[in-house]
Amino acid sequence: MLKILIPSMFMLLTTWTSPFKQLWSTILMYSFLVATLSLTWLAMPTDTGWFYINNYMAYDPLSSPLLVLTCWLLPLMIIASQNHLAVEPENRQRTYISLLISLQIFLILAFSATEMIMFYVMFEATLIPTLIIITRWGNQMERLNAGTYFLFYTLAGSLPLLVALLIYHSSMGSLSYLSLTSLPLTCSNLYANKLWWMACLLAFLVKMPLYGVHLWLPKAHVEAPIAGSMVLAAVLLKLGGYGMMRIMIILDPLTKELSYPFIILALWGVIMTGSICLRQTDLKSLIAYSSVSHMGLVAAGILIQTPWGFTGALILMIAHGLTSSALFCLANTNYERTHSRTIILARGLQMVLPLMATWWFLASLANLALPPLPNLMGEIMIITSLFNWSFYTLILTGLGTLITASYSLYMFLLTQRGPIPHHLILLEPSHTREHLLLALHLLPLLLLIAKPELVWGWTA
Amino acid sequence: MNPYILTILLFAMGLGTTITFASSHWLLAWMGLEINTLAILPLMCQSHHPRAVEATIKYFLTQATAAAMLLFASITNAWITGQWNLEFMSYSLPTTLVTVALALKIGLAPLHAWMPEVLQGLDLTTGLILSTWQKLAPFCLLLQINPSNTSLLLILGLASTLVGGWGGLNQNQLRKILAYSSIAHLGWMILVLQFFPSLTLLTLLMYFVMTFSLFITFKVNNSTTINSLSMSWSKAPIISSMVPFILLSLGGLPPLSGFMPKWLILQELTKQSLAPLATLAALSALLSLYFYLRISYAMTLTMSPNILSNALPWRLPSNQHTLPLAITTSLTICLLPLTPAIITLLTL
Repeated sequence: MLKILIPSMFMLLTTWTSPFKQLWSTILMYSFLVATLSLTWLAMPTDTGWFYINNYMAYDPLSSPLLVLTCWLLPLMIIASQNHLAVEPENRQRTYISLLISLQIFLILAFSATEMIMFYVMFEATLIPTLIIITRWGNQMERLNAGTYFLFYTLAGSLPLLVALLIYHSSMGSLSYLSLTSLPLTCSNLYANKLWWMACLLAFLVKMPLYGVHLWLPKAHVEAPIAGSMVLAAVLLKLGGYGMMRIMIILDPLTKELSYPFIILALWGVIMTGSICLRQTDLKSLIAYSSVSHMGLVAAGILIQTPWGFTGALILMIAHGLTSSALFCLANTNYERTHSRTIILARGLQMVLPLMATWWFLASLANLALPPLPNLMGEIMIITSLFNWSFYTLILTGLGTLITASYSLYMFLLTQRGPIPHHLILLEPSHTREHLLLALHLLPLLLLIAKPELVWGWTA
Repeated sequence: MNPYILTILLFAMGLGTTITFASSHWLLAWMGLEINTLAILPLMCQSHHPRAVEATIKYFLTQATAAAMLLFASITNAWITGQWNLEFMSYSLPTTLVTVALALKIGLAPLHAWMPEVLQGLDLTTGLILSTWQKLAPFCLLLQINPSNTSLLLILGLASTLVGGWGGLNQNQLRKILAYSSIAHLGWMILVLQFFPSLTLLTLLMYFVMTFSLFITFKVNNSTTINSLSMSWSKAPIISSMVPFILLSLGGLPPLSGFMPKWLILQELTKQSLAPLATLAALSALLSLYFYLRISYAMTLTMSPNILSNALPWRLPSNQHTLPLAITTSLTICLLPLTPAIITLLTL
């Protein structure tokens, strides 16, 4: 564990001491080395149980896919940011890279934390670099509002979580993951216990996001620069899912009744945000709402508390992380050429940039959960476990799948097919860097078809 | 100001606080507070600007009232119990009166109305002394009395955090923002006073470090409004890049050191079964966070060519000694991992 964490910390030092001409290549190579080393976490000789590294950090089959995704994402973010940061002064480039690296460090500490308060502190700590990336390097004036919404939605949800964790700690004595399974809170049916249950989950539901409290997400994703969008979509939303999975252990008897409205809200959110996607004019906003839609399904899968639900949620999180990040990179290729996010301004791109159309095709297919991609595996497992709980959820989930397919296809057809608009006379050909970026996103996704055991957690 | 006069006044301020620290007799404590007040008054009005003089008068009146109330309470206690000793206040009337008097002295809500106007009239250095040094003596007394009424301190604390948050939302003068920030932090300190006094001391000292960084940053930029901060990135880029962290630390975000007092206070409150109060206090910290975030937007997170709200100032070489700023900024950002050591050090 420290083999990855300490090099990541020292990457900060490398950022500030590299000669400027070699900055990006050095950091890219360094982060790829760290990412490759992190793949060793996927090798787990036993299917359950923790791999203790020290008292404070450990990983298990639930957290190791997310850790690997985090480490894998940093070189991708570096590749994606290279172009738009090239015009900035030297120190600002170094600052930006430092923010990305510090985000990775906090995320590694969050996913490998063995104690809930440590997880909480790192969960909150990831807010600060993300806030700075969104508000400092975003491109439109609305980014300040986006940063404020992002910070305050997340904090308003997570401060009750802190109080709830402290209540649990004061009555049970320990918040270590290792002992949580044997310390469920024996509770009477007091109203206060229900509030405590809500307080425990609210932070993660806001982070996921659940449909009613999702307003921060379109703002934050749209206004963030490409690396910010990538890390938000791929990893930060999964922090919510991961936290929920960890804290479900102590919430046990209450969740049977209390989760009812939230499952329904999540499923309704899948449909609503899917429908909103069909009416979007802003490409990044479309992808952001698609994220809300997928994560609604993940939230429902976690709240249903069955082994298939958890497995489906974890696979969908990993697959959605890669897919959504790939879609944001594709949207960024459009943005860098036209400096606009409006979809209809850049249509018919298959004629102009045919190779990029391949990536658009693959990413859209992944988004609509085509078999045999792991996106489908996750969705099918969640839909099945929901169906097992209640037949009627099939209406909502089936409709959700249909709408997801519609907007993914809509996005693909609108950007790639059809006539080219007359004003597009000067588009740069696709850079190799962009092809590399998208290949590195979609190749792991395709490889996961062959061995989903790597990412399906300890329950299947 | 004449350096001899300045020396005498600063020594007198130190003397006043020290007398209060060392006292176990109520009259001596009161005397120390009065010496402290009288010594800072010339410092406050040294610029002879009408705003400064008005601030001085307001400060004098409130502090004198508070000291008189304190004297009255201690005399009442002496009448009832025959004791002048600080620790032996066992009746509720003198204790409550002393608590309210000290609340007026430090500026807790609902006795906070003088704070923003007084701080606005002062220059940044004197404002810093007012926000930090002048709080030491009253806190020394607050830490030693046994509170009579549990709810009094909790109401003072919660009201202060809420007033500190809401009051600062509509301000663009930095000194008023710092005043409301002071009120909010004092509220947090008072919340935990009767349960775990070491945390009060910890919060007080952390607040001193954080607010020292902020005041000195504003002094280095010589700015008193949010607008005038917008060009500070060109005057002092590294200080400007550290300011968001100082402000978010004041707002209590992990993993910065400002999270430490809030976390420990919430832990203590939940242990005392005051969880709804803890949640309310935590959410009220979000109000303060909003205006801290706004300052950091103006100073660092927006690029200046987009802001034409201030003409480009002269950039002359600066002789300011920034070593204290460097030290306190580092402490403001990096002190959270040392929490166990700090609690052990400060256990009363």
